Amino acid sequence: MAIVQRKKMEEEAEIPTASMADIAFLLIIFFMTTTNFAREKGLKFLLPEKKDKPQELKIASKNLLKISINDRGEVFLNDQQIDPNRLEEEVKRRLEENKKLIILIRTHENAPYGMMIKAFDAVKAAGGKKVGLGVIKEEGS
Amino acid sequence: MRLKRKKEMKAQIPTASMSDIAFLLIIFFMTVTVFRKAQGLPVQLPFAKTTERILKQRDLAFVWIGRNGKVSVDDNIVPPERIAVIFRTKMADNPALIVDIKADQNVRYRYVYKVMEALREANALRVVFATRKGQ
Repeated sequence: MAIVQRKKMEEEAEIPTASMADIAFLLIIFFMTTTNFAREKGLKFLLPEKKDKPQELKIASKNLLKISINDRGEVFLNDQQIDPNRLEEEVKRRLEENKKLIILIRTHENAPYGMMIKAFDAVKAAGGKKVGLGVIKEEGS
Repeated sequence: MRLKRKKEMKAQIPTASMSDIAFLLIIFFMTVTVFRKAQGLPVQLPFAKTTERILKQRDLAFVWIGRNGKVSVDDNIVPPERIAVIFRTKMADNPALIVDIKADQNVRYRYVYKVMEALREANALRVVFATRKGQ
């Protein structure tokens, strides 16, 4: 009996850590399955501030490039119709000629949104930084 | 003659640092996890070549514009005149808000324009037009 008791005394106090890893891995699996990485993609744009008085900016017409999209989704570059797929190179060429160029994309109310994005995308791809978005209201409304 | 007792060598894998590794991974996943809050409307996003990744996911708020012009914020269909009010409160909560406009590629531009005007009114000026990468 005496021997058994002495043996017991020698036991060390321990915290069982064997299952710690199991718990941790369980949590890992939970977070792995619920994580969705930054999948949001898009085109960034900064809207102009809204002021009580509409801002008036005087821009020399030679520094302004107008891209207009009509209600059927046809694209016009300074009043001349252009193939949307050729927009990028055309804008690029004009930007090279004039670095101060400001591009205004005017879209008709009834035009499909996709066309406006296409034009905006082309301008971005061409390296245009100063871009304005406008709307063409339907006549009589 | 005494025989020398061979020392018994037990094969062991050191598992003490296992939990440390595991917790490190947990912390990583905990910090990058963003729980999805709203599902929104079914939309066909337009394609764009210059599509960028939006990294500040925590600051994003979504506006969905369906192809018939319905606008959805936080899983509710909202009338256009309420958008400005909603985003003004959102801006008060988080001034670094970025509004992600998820509009269908076939929706008429006027609906998108209206939303943009409302966002300007709410002073939520940082926007993203959600697109898909491609031609």
